[in-house]
Amino acid sequence: MGKPADDFLLDVRGLSKHFGGIRAMSGVTFSIPQGSIISMIGPNGAGKSTFVNVVSGTHVPDAGEVHFKGEDITGLPGHVIAAKGIGRTFQLLELFDSLSVLENVMVGCHTRSRSGMLACGFSLLSALKEEKRIKEEAMESLAMVGLEGRAHDPIYRLPLGERKLVGIARALGMKPKLLMLDEPAGGLAAHEVEGLARLIHLLVERGLTLFIVEHNMPFVMSLSRRIIVLDEGMKIAEGPPEEVRANEEVIKAYLGEEVC
Amino acid sequence: MNGAPQSKLLWLVSIVAITAIPLVAGSYVVGVMCFIAIFGGLAVSMGLLLGQAGMFSLAHPVWFGLGGYVSGILALRGIAPPWLGSIIGAVFVGFVSYIIGAPLLRLKGYYLACATFGLLLIVQISLGQLGPLTGGHEGLMGIPPFSIGGFVLETDVHYYYLSWALCLACLWFLYNLMDSRMGRAIKSFSDSEVAAKSMGINVPQFKLKVFTLTAVMASLTGSVYTCYLRFAEPGIFGFPLQVQLMTMVIIGGGKTLYGPLLGGFVVMWLKELIHMYLGKVLPRMGAHVDALFFGVLIIVILIFMPGGLSGWLDRLLDLGRRTFGKTSG
Amino acid sequence: MTGGSIYAVIGICWSLVYLITKVLNFTTGEFVMLGGMLTWVFRTAGFSLVPSVLFAVACTILISMILERIAVRPVRYPNEVTYMMITIAGASVIKGLVLLAWGSETRRIESFFDTEVIHLFGATITSQVLCVFGLLVIVTIGLSLFLNRTLFGKALRASAVNLTGASLMGIDISRFRLFCFGLAGGLGAITGIVITPITFTGYEVGMLTGLKGLVAAIVGGWTMTGTMVAALVLGLIEGFGAGFISAGLKDVFALLIMILFLIVRTMNFASRAGRGSP
Repeated sequence: MGKPADDFLLDVRGLSKHFGGIRAMSGVTFSIPQGSIISMIGPNGAGKSTFVNVVSGTHVPDAGEVHFKGEDITGLPGHVIAAKGIGRTFQLLELFDSLSVLENVMVGCHTRSRSGMLACGFSLLSALKEEKRIKEEAMESLAMVGLEGRAHDPIYRLPLGERKLVGIARALGMKPKLLMLDEPAGGLAAHEVEGLARLIHLLVERGLTLFIVEHNMPFVMSLSRRIIVLDEGMKIAEGPPEEVRANEEVIKAYLGEEVC
Repeated sequence: MNGAPQSKLLWLVSIVAITAIPLVAGSYVVGVMCFIAIFGGLAVSMGLLLGQAGMFSLAHPVWFGLGGYVSGILALRGIAPPWLGSIIGAVFVGFVSYIIGAPLLRLKGYYLACATFGLLLIVQISLGQLGPLTGGHEGLMGIPPFSIGGFVLETDVHYYYLSWALCLACLWFLYNLMDSRMGRAIKSFSDSEVAAKSMGINVPQFKLKVFTLTAVMASLTGSVYTCYLRFAEPGIFGFPLQVQLMTMVIIGGGKTLYGPLLGGFVVMWLKELIHMYLGKVLPRMGAHVDALFFGVLIIVILIFMPGGLSGWLDRLLDLGRRTFGKTSG
Repeated sequence: MTGGSIYAVIGICWSLVYLITKVLNFTTGEFVMLGGMLTWVFRTAGFSLVPSVLFAVACTILISMILERIAVRPVRYPNEVTYMMITIAGASVIKGLVLLAWGSETRRIESFFDTEVIHLFGATITSQVLCVFGLLVIVTIGLSLFLNRTLFGKALRASAVNLTGASLMGIDISRFRLFCFGLAGGLGAITGIVITPITFTGYEVGMLTGLKGLVAAIVGGWTMTGTMVAALVLGLIEGFGAGFISAGLKDVFALLIMILFLIVRTMNFASRAGRGSP
């Protein structure tokens, strides 16, 4: 099943990033095929969040290339990359606290409307019509994560699990092709993690490609087609879950020494 | 989050009230209210910049002053009547603020404040130094009054309606803006810039647009102001004005759009009261006694009521809404 | 040159408070003014020079600490903007009080020493100017000794680097802040006293000088040596500017420099680190 190059949604080659003296990421290379669920794991400080930040445009890499849908997006600013179809969530949520749940998701739909300052300020009909459409789209995204009942609540009223879902709904607003989840299962109770897994499958059915950075091993093992393991900024393993689980390098990285 | 039926009623009531005031009150009140429209309106655009968009710019009086000077100079030299001069001034200010804003807005927090403060002083000093053009330290005198299609605005009442029309128009525009996708974007990047960017929002561009927009509004207000006074002088457009605007924003509350206008109302009337009662006791002081008083007031409010009056009002309303009905959209 | 030294000490005042408390204290300029003003007050009340100076400094320190207690500490949601407004408000209050109490004319106090003029390297320098230099030297040496050698000083430096860590080590942050305010007040006052024989004093003095001290601190990156260098350069440029172009615009220079510097600085960071830190 040799996949031709442009069947890979995301293609990362030799990606490196350092901050001052710290080499957060060195020479990371792999590809994400369309419609798959790929996960990245690794001990703390391995460079997983840096990776997400670099791909999504928050940081500019020092070396290497990122190709998305065949196009070179290396070093482009975050909002440009987002508009091209890469969405993400944040480990620390980064929700908009002064907006309600629905409004948070509507921000996600920002790129799907065009009304400018003047159109909005003068409340032109075109702007109002777009607003209505965005509201509907946002409600759809909320419904997908099961939160339509909370649409008008302020963020502070939601527990962590629901806030994470808002983050996902928000990223969905852009109708991205690739969705990167940064530690989505962190801090969630068991049933919430199950719900998350179901949601992820649902999203893949709808045509999304998922990239998940996670700590929660069972969660990751059960979902992913392939797993990438990072340690100290370098890729030390890649393959289907069973292979990775048995890989000695991986075990060493996590436990710090060989397990006899 | 701006319940539509309620605010339409509120708008109607306010407009009626404002229109009615000159009919029932004397020229003193009208004069004060006129200044409230001007400075309160200025505070509103500043409040947007500071309170909602999170940009701490100390340069607002710059746009106010430039607008006033441009339209004043053009009118004085007979090049353009004030209404046209205001528009030219607004375009000029829009242009300048766009160019200056681009590099400036990359600065964060304190640094932006310092840089814009520097800008403020530079402009103020320069206005005073460019004698032949701007009338130097004494300023421009005898600026012709505003006239629209032959009708010349001469009395306080005329300018009252003009300034309130401008103030309310700006307020209306801003309300629409904040209720739309642009407003959401603005609130989003002041909450979390990185998340906003990941949603495709070009944050630097946005900040620049908001900056320019508020500058243009300030410029228009400035043109009306100098026409009203028939006079412009560098001293008006300096740091004390900025502090006064900030006072209005703080007292009224920076998180809402109407807060600074409310703050303007409170501040201007308090000033009148101070002058009435203390003016006899301390005849020489003027602006600095105000500064003292308002300094204390700012400290008190920032410590005990950080959301300002409107923040407090909004919480009351919220409480009322929750007690008497569901919180629905 | 004199300008430079003045700005240097003031710049240090700004840095001190900012580093430890993250508060941009806009009353720094007012402390300078107060030093001179209060000395005049005490002088005209009949005290001789030295006691006047001591009282003035003591009062300013007291005022500064009171400011910290009633205006800075109780703030519930500390953020930069709030602190800034509060200190600006505080500065207004101080200015207003001074104006009320002692009117708006400028005052002066006499030079410290009797010999008015000294000739050094072909230039004419007044003894007062030497005092200013002397002050700068003493302050820098004193401060570095204090910060580097004493336990208290080191604790201060630790807090400057990491506030939460420091408080976890049992360092009492609010007392530190109080101390820093007091120190800044004292230094500012002394600076003000030393320059007053040269430049007079009045309720307006605080703003512009304080601002230039701030410029020095910013450009110098909030470090002591950086601030000093920046301040001296600033003073030099100002001097040249006043000579070549009109004196009125010399202030504009300082401000322009600051703005340009700030902008260039962000540009450097933006391109280098690729926007971000881990």
